[in-house]
Amino acid sequence: MEKEILPNSYKFDRGELSIKGPRKALLQHGMCQIPFPSEYGGLGLPFSVYANAIELLGTADASIALSLEIHNAVSEGIYRYGDEGQKKKFLPDLLSGKSLASFALTEPASGSDAGTMATVAERKGSEYSISGSKMFITNAGDADVYLVFAKTSKGPSCFLVESPNRGMKFGDDLKKLGMRGSRTSEVVFSDCRIPGGNLVGEEGKGADYAKEILHGARIVVAALNVGISQVAYDEALRYARQRRGFGKSISDFQLIREKIADMKTEINAGRLLYFYASSIKESGGDFSSEASQAKVFATEMSLKVCDEAIQIYGGYGYTSDEIHRHWRDARLLTIGEGTSEVLRMLIARRELARAS
Amino acid sequence: MRLAVCVKHAIDETELRIDSSGKPQVDGAVGMMSTFDKNAVEEALRLRSAISGEVVAITVGGPEARKTLKEALAMGADRGVIVSADILAIDTLRTAELLAAAITKTGPCDVVICSEGSSDTYDGQVPPMLAELLGLPYAGYARKIEVDGGSAKVERSLEDTIEVVETTLPFVASVVSEINEPRYPTLIQIMQSSKKPIEEMNGDQLVQQGTRKQSSVVSMAAQSSSRRHVMIEGSPDEAAARLVEALVKDGVL
Repeated sequence: MEKEILPNSYKFDRGELSIKGPRKALLQHGMCQIPFPSEYGGLGLPFSVYANAIELLGTADASIALSLEIHNAVSEGIYRYGDEGQKKKFLPDLLSGKSLASFALTEPASGSDAGTMATVAERKGSEYSISGSKMFITNAGDADVYLVFAKTSKGPSCFLVESPNRGMKFGDDLKKLGMRGSRTSEVVFSDCRIPGGNLVGEEGKGADYAKEILHGARIVVAALNVGISQVAYDEALRYARQRRGFGKSISDFQLIREKIADMKTEINAGRLLYFYASSIKESGGDFSSEASQAKVFATEMSLKVCDEAIQIYGGYGYTSDEIHRHWRDARLLTIGEGTSEVLRMLIARRELARAS
Repeated sequence: MRLAVCVKHAIDETELRIDSSGKPQVDGAVGMMSTFDKNAVEEALRLRSAISGEVVAITVGGPEARKTLKEALAMGADRGVIVSADILAIDTLRTAELLAAAITKTGPCDVVICSEGSSDTYDGQVPPMLAELLGLPYAGYARKIEVDGGSAKVERSLEDTIEVVETTLPFVASVVSEINEPRYPTLIQIMQSSKKPIEEMNGDQLVQQGTRKQSSVVSMAAQSSSRRHVMIEGSPDEAAARLVEALVKDGVL
């Protein structure tokens, strides 16, 4: 990470270099094997170790961390809801980096309210035919396996679509504020035929699966944002010590010191929240509220920390993409994988239910 | 074929702090495998895969040196040996004596590989001392090693020339960083490394401290350079002439 990813991170942001090579190298080194059992090629380590690894990767490059977080959310879905044949077929390649995965839930007119999805899957003989459009899909075009959510007569369901498939087409790469190293685009399905055996779990349960997969992913997103915050903080701290104003280091000024104290405190609070949510997940408890708390706090905290980093850097922060890209990267995740607003609803609903 | 590779748990110089008096704060400094030692481990592994055999990683140091040994094991070394000693208190000859004794104790070796010098102190004295103590030929600053049966051909990277030498086995080599690109261990290799055997040897028992006086570090200070600011005024032509004059006077030109 220090040698091949961190020094190139700004090049990924500018589009001068593709993340494909380092992403593959990380996968081959076992980055995404961490939380899965050895029978499918995993390392069988606690989920918190994986979340922490994503935090560290987030300090090196947020786009690669995001891409792998999505990839692993698919592996988690197959591991939790797939049948033995699907696990044996897909997991070893996904965990070892032979193939890359993408998670296709969001649609142009359907986000957190997954029940309103318009993509449909129709049984045709031994196959399913999927038609519809998925939006803001990370890893689109790069991935070999897509976990696609589509409605059957029984409701939202979950399918595995292998690329290439002539019924699946990709839109142009979206021009994004941040996370520019990872590819994001629309994925359009038109009579996309897949074998009947590629249905994951049961028809009609797709929305529940998506919800459960996303609970775990939210812990990882929180970790990723702690990583982004940490690198922005480290850079700002270094600059504050070195930059002089009014004849002394700006780190000697109380108002800068207040920023440093608050940034560091809140980064550690975010870190503890994702570790706490991980510990409940590892012990098999209901961690949905804690995962959402971790994500809401860490993503909003990282916007604040990255903003303060720009403030400490002053004009250089505003004009240097090496600094403001951290804020741009962090900005995605109060939206992606459950908006802060929806997650606050979820937290309150869960806490009220616990109290009753 | 048996290969021994010597590694040092060195101070991470990129994390080293200098106090206000200009002294490096060695106590409590972050440690890591000496940068060039990764090339030494890589070369031992490369030779092993070409000829097959065993790679033993050996280090001299305190308990913290286990971290470096584990890194060598994660990279692929088969087993490790840690010789206990206060690495900051002993001199290079003592280090070489301990390494030589440990290598002898672990059994006959065909090739002993070191790096050209450690990334913290960079004395570069241990490898030739080690060869002398073991009574073996020494090929220093190797940028290529080819073993063929009972002999080896080594390309030595010297200041202005490349020297090619041939030696019989066993021999001691020190390698330069251009010899290879060290591998990164995968997570599974890191996990598996904890199961590989590490033998502990007590340095004081392994080699009795003789009456020889140790060389010691008298002082250690960060390099400092003071800057002199000179403003040269006048028209561009005059200023250029004065600048050249000043540079000649200072012996720059």
